[in-house]
Amino acid sequence: MSTRTIPDTRPAPAAPAALRGAVAAEWTKLFSVRTTWWTALAGLLVMAASAGQLAIYAANDNTNDDPADDRGILTAGSVMIGSVELTQYAVLALGLLAITAEFTSGTIRTTLQCTPSRGRVLLAKAVVAGTVTFAFGLLLGGVGALVARPVLGEWGRAPAAGTIGDIAAVATYLALVGVLALGLGAALRSAVLTLTVLFATLMIVPLSLQEPDIAVLNRIADVFPGVAGAHFLAGDTEPYPGAVGLLLLAGWAGAALLLGRAALRRRDA
Amino acid sequence: MITLRGLTKRFGATVAVDALTVDVAPGRVTGFLGPNGAGKSTSMRMILGLDRPTAGQALIGGRAYRELRRPLHEVGALLDARAVHPARAGRAHLLAMARSNGIPARRVDEVLDTVGLDGRAAAKPGRTLSLGMGQRLGIAGALLGDPPVLMFDEPVNGLDPDGVRWVRQLMRSLADQGRTVFVSSHLMSEMQLTADQLVVIGRGRLLADAPIDDVIAGSTVAVRVRSPHPDGLATLATRLAANGATVESVGPDELTVTGTTVDRVGDLAYELGVRLHELSPHSASLEQAFMELTADSVEYAGGPTGSGAR
Repeated sequence: MSTRTIPDTRPAPAAPAALRGAVAAEWTKLFSVRTTWWTALAGLLVMAASAGQLAIYAANDNTNDDPADDRGILTAGSVMIGSVELTQYAVLALGLLAITAEFTSGTIRTTLQCTPSRGRVLLAKAVVAGTVTFAFGLLLGGVGALVARPVLGEWGRAPAAGTIGDIAAVATYLALVGVLALGLGAALRSAVLTLTVLFATLMIVPLSLQEPDIAVLNRIADVFPGVAGAHFLAGDTEPYPGAVGLLLLAGWAGAALLLGRAALRRRDA
Repeated sequence: MITLRGLTKRFGATVAVDALTVDVAPGRVTGFLGPNGAGKSTSMRMILGLDRPTAGQALIGGRAYRELRRPLHEVGALLDARAVHPARAGRAHLLAMARSNGIPARRVDEVLDTVGLDGRAAAKPGRTLSLGMGQRLGIAGALLGDPPVLMFDEPVNGLDPDGVRWVRQLMRSLADQGRTVFVSSHLMSEMQLTADQLVVIGRGRLLADAPIDDVIAGSTVAVRVRSPHPDGLATLATRLAANGATVESVGPDELTVTGTTVDRVGDLAYELGVRLHELSPHSASLEQAFMELTADSVEYAGGPTGSGAR
């Protein structure tokens, strides 16, 4: 070991280099625990099962005796998008655990010791969680479409461009939901609490708001991240274009990150 | 160099650290001593920017920890040996730390080697590490960036005697290389063997900041005298008492003398021609010095808090 010359001779690295280091560390941490792989496996199974199930329902609706049920020809992509509603919980667990596991195990102290800038830690985690959930979303989308298409049989179509677009949209949606989960996890610290809040914001609250046919409540529900994401995925034009849905969801993810950063800065680790 | 200036931390009504002003200098081992709950860990956490001080500041080489971009090159710290993810292998834990600060992977193997963790131990997941292995892993993490300042919170906890000796030698060699070494412990005997300088706190307040020898010397030192000649011993006792020392007769052939030195007792015995079989400093241990120091702080704190204290 050399003597104490390091801080005097080594120039402080630029911020991008420090962020690169933090990202590399997060990457190493994510893939050095088995939970990551189990979560991924769970996501794949849920997607395959859910896509298969929805495709069976669709085919059934078209072939049963009640013509009112008929839905005609469906795309494999639309069935796959329907499966995301359930599959997303496995995916957002990746974003969630990236921060809540640190609080549970106490490694947050090591992490902040290595990277004292709270904003940089969270940004690095967001980069890793976003990238990984996007890539994983591509895989999930592909699997969902592959399962849905044969099950739909004569009632299904899978136009290449449309399906690829749907898969990319699903991957984008999942990446943003993953980052949303990460930001909330940083603010709330507990995995269970974060999951509960996510479940409420993504599903329960908007569903309750949409239940009575009151326009005002529906407008409010439209702003919630899950609903905004659904409009984006479905490529809706009403109540707003899909791109607005994407922006709304991205806004939620960004806001969650800011909230998480504020909490990390303010509270003792 | 670690600089604490009026460092204070309050949790609600409790004052965990109370206006601590200390300089921890390079080139020596500084022991950070205090009973459990004295505020040692909280102080260290504030130095590392993990806890926000209520008042005052903690600086490392003149800068706050949160301002450091690659802190592992400046401060290495072992805080909580258990802070390893239960499912992550020790080596991966260190690798993540190294990557965050742009430290090459081979350095991970170097420090693993330094702390005596072989490849098999380093591949084990965190939950299966013994406390001793966890300590070694934590020390490896502190050494990663080859930093000029090192902090260890209770580093010998859970180590076997070999491990304890190894930690002592490590601290010594780090200090000899000119680094700042700041080690906390509630084990006074351990500090007596490792530290050059002592910072003693009780109830968050600074009680002493002095070379370890001064801290010990500051407490009562007794001299034990044994002689086969009771008469000569009695004469010696009379003369010592006349010179202002406090003499206690332990038996017909033994005295315990306080308020003087071994040298003066020896000179006097020679002068009087008293044959001695033993003349030894009944040296005050650090433990004793520590008790004396903290007894005051407990008395002090016991008054105002009254029945509210546990």
